[in-house]
Amino acid sequence: MRRLPGLVIVGVLASALGLAACNREKPAQTGGAPKVAFVMKTLNHPFFLDMQNGAVQAADKAGLQLVVQAAEREIDVEKQMQIIENLLQTGIKALIVTPSGSREIASAIVKANRAGVPVIVVDTRVDPKAIADNNLKIESFIGSDNYEGGRMAGDYLAKIAGGKARVAVLEGIPGHETGDSRLRGFRDAIQPHPGMTIVASQPANWERDQGFTVFQNMLQAHPDIDALFACSDLMALGAIEAIAAAGRTKSIRVVGFDALDDARKAIAAGTMEASVAQSPRDMGRIAVESAAKVLHGEAVPPDQKVPLALVTRTP
Amino acid sequence: MTRQLGTFAGLLALCVVLWAATPHFLTVSNLLNVLEQTSINAIVAVGMTFVIISGGIDLSVGSVLALAGIALASGLASGVPAPASLALALATGTACGLVNGTLITFGRLPPFIATLGMMSVARGAALMVAEGRPISGFTEGFRALATSRWLMVPAPVILTAVVYVVAHFVLAHTVFGRATYAIGGNEEAARLSGVSVRFHKTAVYGVAGLTSAIAAILLTARLNSAQPTAGTMYELDAIAATVIGGTSLLGGEGTLAGALIGALIMGVLRNGLNLLNVSSFFQQVVIGAVIIGAVLIDMSLKRRR
Repeated sequence: MRRLPGLVIVGVLASALGLAACNREKPAQTGGAPKVAFVMKTLNHPFFLDMQNGAVQAADKAGLQLVVQAAEREIDVEKQMQIIENLLQTGIKALIVTPSGSREIASAIVKANRAGVPVIVVDTRVDPKAIADNNLKIESFIGSDNYEGGRMAGDYLAKIAGGKARVAVLEGIPGHETGDSRLRGFRDAIQPHPGMTIVASQPANWERDQGFTVFQNMLQAHPDIDALFACSDLMALGAIEAIAAAGRTKSIRVVGFDALDDARKAIAAGTMEASVAQSPRDMGRIAVESAAKVLHGEAVPPDQKVPLALVTRTP
Repeated sequence: MTRQLGTFAGLLALCVVLWAATPHFLTVSNLLNVLEQTSINAIVAVGMTFVIISGGIDLSVGSVLALAGIALASGLASGVPAPASLALALATGTACGLVNGTLITFGRLPPFIATLGMMSVARGAALMVAEGRPISGFTEGFRALATSRWLMVPAPVILTAVVYVVAHFVLAHTVFGRATYAIGGNEEAARLSGVSVRFHKTAVYGVAGLTSAIAAILLTARLNSAQPTAGTMYELDAIAATVIGGTSLLGGEGTLAGALIGALIMGVLRNGLNLLNVSSFFQQVVIGAVIIGAVLIDMSLKRRR
């Protein structure tokens, strides 16, 4: 009887791992292909799933074995670092990463550099100071020009509002380069319009449910809000629900970012005005193609901008 | 003791399975890598073990970790000498813990409620002090706390070992440690036999705050940045490590060796599942299953006795 606990734990763990092993990607078929790791911020967001799809297709074409991993939570930089450390142990030939923190990621990139694994950064730019301080070597950055996207959103909102609106802003996770740039672009774009005032600006951490509650609170404090810029569509979609709950559908002009499917539907239905479309699929594809080039010793541009487009009801 | 041998056997079995499953697991560099990754959870689990043995729970350790990290980083960033900044972090963490303890003993709040409140207060305070943004960029000297190696062994691993040796001594060989067990076993009996329950219980939460702060120092040095959002859900990892290690949530029993093994099982599992390229969704399922399995065994053992 005394031996039982050990045996049972062994049983639990062994079966867990047995299951895990079944879940493995088929290494046999891709045995000789160079292994490339793509470490994402998260895998429970349509944006990153699109990015993953683009990357997987490009990897198949380029004959690379692609390993995609992400931490459980988008903001967990420490777990992302652990994943990178662990994957570096498996002899990957290149690392593609969408940093969960634009400064914190530096420590992980240092480890990849030290292991001689080329690094490609996607979507979220690494803080320039962190690059300089740690002497980071990054082969290429692939991403949207988020500042420009913010400007596009601001210009469009000013245009449809006739240069006069009381604007609310839903920000992403504070300190994220992506959200900060969109915000700067948006502010710079509406600045020349004296009629456009930002009456409230708060983070909703990229999340739909937080977009709902934060915007609901904003509406309580400022019932006269008549325009909203959300730094991501998920937050915008949450806010649209709050607008509906307040019985004010279509009285507030909403502009989002990402052009998710749900946002495109909202734009078609008229509950949303516009969204800035990124091309996550292209980002994933270009990242893997760049990794393939680096592995073949070819040069890649240090900065690769993926074009943005404004999605509106009347194109 | 038997139970720890059981958990240890579980850890070994896990390692054997991983060794068979992937050539990348059983290498010196990967094992050191796992130990380094486990260090933060292992240190938070030390305070959690004290609290749980005393019959309580601390949900605030992750938030306290974030606040202590922000205190440390604010100090360093504004030119306070490193030793003073480290002391500030340790004091911040301990103070949060003592407030928890005071609310529980003198305020008679259930530990769950007091620390749930602190979880939110400390997180909010961290966000306020940092204005929502990470504070980053420290000197090489400070970062050495996480990045340096001594005879190949990463500094965090050495620090973890020191914390465990000291904490084990306190728990197993001092009056304070015996009082912790006594209170968790039967608070009334402890009081009647002359243990100052209020004092000891308050101090136990202080220990949890202190170990959270030590973990905060490591995390800040490791990431070269203190984030006000750091440590989210670390309380669950620490509770998991503690209960996998055989500490009873009912209080009165448990060991630090168990907590260390529990933390290692979680660290090895995460590492192994990464090496095997198991999706992060499935990893959560596996880790949850291990926690449930370990506690099921714990319960069935108790019934048998």
